[in-house]
Amino acid sequence: MASSIDDLDLKALVAAERRNNRPNWPLAVLALVISAVWIVPFYYMATSIFKTTEEYSQNHPLSLPASWHPVIENAVTAWTNAKMASGLLNSMLYSTVGAGLAVFIAALAAYGLTRFDFRGRNLWFMLIFSGTVFPLQMYLIPLFFTYQGLNLLNTHAGMLIFYTAICIPFPVLVLRNFMNGLSREMDEAARMDGAHELTVFLKIILPNCWGPMTATFLLQFTWIWNDLLFSTVLANKTDVRSIMNALQTFQGSYASTGPNVVMTATIIASLPSLILFFLLRRHFMEGMRISTV
Amino acid sequence: MAENSQETDEQLLDRIGRDVLLAQERKRGVLAFRSAVMFMAPAAFIVSAVLLFPVVYNVYLSFTKWKRFKGYDEFAGFGNYERLTTNHFFTEAFANTAIWVAASITLPLLLGLGLALLLRNVPGEGLFKTIIFIPRILAPTAVAVLWYYVYAPDGIVNWFLGLFLPGDVDIGWLYQDNTITPSIIATFVWQSVGLVMVLILLGLAAIPRDPIEAATIDGATPFQVFRHIVLPLLSPTILVVTILSVLAGFTAFDLLWVMGTSYPGQRTLSLAVFMYFEAFQKGSWAFGSAIAVVIGFVVLSVTWIQALLQNHIDKMTK
Amino acid sequence: MTFKTKIAAAVLGAGALWASGAAADVELVHDKGFWSEALQEMGDAAGEMTGNRIIETAYANPEQYKAFIYTSAASDDMPNMFTWWTGGVYEDLVDTGQIAPLDDVWDAMIARGDFDAGLRDFYSVGDHVYGVPLHLSRWVALYNKEHFKSVGLDEPQTWEDLVEDAAKLKAAGITPFHATTQDGWRGFIWFQEIMIRTNPEAYAGLHDGSVAYDSEPVRAAFEIWSDWYQKGYFTDPRSNDEVADFARGEGAIYLIGDWAVGLVEAAGMKSGEDFSAFIVPNMDPKLPSSTILEGAPLVLSVAGMKDPDTLAGLEFFVSVDGANAWAKASGNSIGNANAEAPNAIVEKINADVAEKGTIAIDRWWEAVPAELQGEFVAEFNRFMLDPTMDTAEQVMSNLQSLNEEYWAEN
Repeated sequence: MASSIDDLDLKALVAAERRNNRPNWPLAVLALVISAVWIVPFYYMATSIFKTTEEYSQNHPLSLPASWHPVIENAVTAWTNAKMASGLLNSMLYSTVGAGLAVFIAALAAYGLTRFDFRGRNLWFMLIFSGTVFPLQMYLIPLFFTYQGLNLLNTHAGMLIFYTAICIPFPVLVLRNFMNGLSREMDEAARMDGAHELTVFLKIILPNCWGPMTATFLLQFTWIWNDLLFSTVLANKTDVRSIMNALQTFQGSYASTGPNVVMTATIIASLPSLILFFLLRRHFMEGMRISTV
Repeated sequence: MAENSQETDEQLLDRIGRDVLLAQERKRGVLAFRSAVMFMAPAAFIVSAVLLFPVVYNVYLSFTKWKRFKGYDEFAGFGNYERLTTNHFFTEAFANTAIWVAASITLPLLLGLGLALLLRNVPGEGLFKTIIFIPRILAPTAVAVLWYYVYAPDGIVNWFLGLFLPGDVDIGWLYQDNTITPSIIATFVWQSVGLVMVLILLGLAAIPRDPIEAATIDGATPFQVFRHIVLPLLSPTILVVTILSVLAGFTAFDLLWVMGTSYPGQRTLSLAVFMYFEAFQKGSWAFGSAIAVVIGFVVLSVTWIQALLQNHIDKMTK
Repeated sequence: MTFKTKIAAAVLGAGALWASGAAADVELVHDKGFWSEALQEMGDAAGEMTGNRIIETAYANPEQYKAFIYTSAASDDMPNMFTWWTGGVYEDLVDTGQIAPLDDVWDAMIARGDFDAGLRDFYSVGDHVYGVPLHLSRWVALYNKEHFKSVGLDEPQTWEDLVEDAAKLKAAGITPFHATTQDGWRGFIWFQEIMIRTNPEAYAGLHDGSVAYDSEPVRAAFEIWSDWYQKGYFTDPRSNDEVADFARGEGAIYLIGDWAVGLVEAAGMKSGEDFSAFIVPNMDPKLPSSTILEGAPLVLSVAGMKDPDTLAGLEFFVSVDGANAWAKASGNSIGNANAEAPNAIVEKINADVAEKGTIAIDRWWEAVPAELQGEFVAEFNRFMLDPTMDTAEQVMSNLQSLNEEYWAEN
């Protein structure tokens, strides 16, 4: 898959395809039938949040809501009972700071790995990258105890440290490949002029890496945002837990408030990543692509 | 010394110069290394402390007898691993994990490929693709919560079946031994097939048109074209997609955790869930660590096979 | 509380405040998130009355909480005051040697006439007592008074009454019994009840390995249970909302600890008026009346015992004022004889217990070895989801194989 970023524009892709293939209407009907498997659950979720609990339990799951008003009460109930404000704030903190720090630290490492000639470069790379080979389950028990001992359990700092660490290896891989492709002439010239290494990194290399850095940032942001496992194990208290943990706990222990409310909470918890996706779709697709090569 | 006295001044200078040059070279190397370390240190330190140290610690713990309050410093040898072989929950969890691996190798790929080929020729394909891709943006937890209700006894799956079956359908999809794993796998596929489809479309777009057109002119059927031209050229994409799906399916936790809450045998849904139960519910830390090691072993094997296949494909395409 | 005692408490509190120099906050660590607000109310009351404010710290779920306590034991750093469970996990905890004996505290509690000496044994391990009750709940049958009235039923006095009542309710279109697998832990409830009503001796034997889970008494219990399911006596086990189901009038009888009375009230029923409770009768009328007794202990670590403020916090909890504050905040009784009953139902049950001389039986959840708890209850849930005798046989054999393995090792 040697396509450049521009090739990823789905519209261009579509256009190219269409030139070769005339529209096929019977297939369109088939596609519509198949996509019902996706549309119906979405429709179900979208209508349920406009129902009261009573309305939900007494009517057909796919019936249209009587009015749109109940969504406000559902959202308020979900917001207060699932303590979503703190969940959203925590996840926002973990995702932005964790992914941001990770990508920056990874860029530093990639710079070290590509801009200096020394023996054992591969070894250093393997050391950092090996953080991504092991399954997450191997971290759980030791981290739990180490955190317990260091008083990091149920703290924002503890969560940030873990999320930053887990998000470093992959951007190192991507940024190392990318920086290897950048010509060393510019930075050699700057070095001749007596620029400090840090200056070279900040002023010359970083500005050239915004593309892959944004793409990996978004991937890591989403990873942290979606994480349930580590918040469950390392930060289960209301004021530090992540939004997905809040959602899962809500679904588990407040089932009595009704599926309509739980689904409203689900939508609230998903909105940030959905909005981000539609705003930055290209960067996301680039991220998806680089994560496979 | 005799040898030295025989050396001419020029040779001597030459030698000193060479030493100086070598020293300078070495010094530059050391300097470069030092600077590089300054840049690599934060990443190397954090990764070692937060990720690699726990892995080692986990392996250590798996050889202790730690359970609840006791045995932290007692050595158990391979005791925990031996216990795995006789534990029937482990056997069931392992079997379910094997089902997950088999299903996540085949289903996302086949369906993704099918959807990609189908949607290529369909008007409004952009919309279809977006719809199918959206679940991938949602968190597994969110998808699991939605499907928990979709599969509910009075949910829409049973409603749909009720259209074709007589009587009142109220199957507890997420409550029964024989339906829960297929149900959760279906949700997994529902969520992940969009990405697979997009990646395959990218792979298809990269295939040159010429050989296909030439073959068509020579009278090859569409199936022959697909089998002998498209498929081989698509194999790198297929490999990547498969590995991604397997690793995702193998370590899936969130879906099983949320959708399996009502199922009495939740601990047997997969090795990842079993490990969580043993460690964090029963306090069998050492035993849980041993399960984690087994999971690690399988994941590393899959990664290793991927590397081998990748090599093989790289050689073939060269 | 009267105005006088309030003043007295305030004066005492002020005195204590002055004596200790500053109000000390005492931390109470627990996993009962649903009681967070109630515990804080209680803690504030402690602050007002004694100058030692109790601050509650909740862990989100029992699993993480247990793990937290296990690890604090490993690092010899237990919280000063925390809640725990009785049974096997309690003995494990005491085994660490990091829990303080509360013999002197209990001597004083009994000497004041607040607590029954028998209750001390409930919290004893070996020769010492290590905990005081955070709550004491009897497991009784809550029933919907309107349903009972509509079918013309009284509280059943014998097992035959109960069976007949169930049949009458069913015939009238009312599901007699509530039972769900909600939250994963409730599967044991009806098993436990049928066992103690039909064969309490065998029930006790289950917990020391002397009676097998595939023995005849257990099979007989499963047969009754399965038979009632076949007759449609139970509500859908897949419901996620037992309390609301009961409050909505879906079924007539809800077997649960009396701590649930507050929850049912919150769901809209008035205790004593809309619903009441009875002690389930035994099959053999010659057996003494009995109920399951559940009572999570409040314990102090050795370090907590040395801290006078923490000890004072614990002592407040078991005092008459403390018990009243806690009853008001949470609807729970701790068994302090001089405190007021938290609600009409607990009052009624207390009267029944006094009249019938009802004895207490350990709850299955605490009595079963801690290690088997989760796996066993899952098997009971499995039966409830498919309540045939075939499943019961499978469940019994699964239970027994785990049970055998455990008792062979321990």
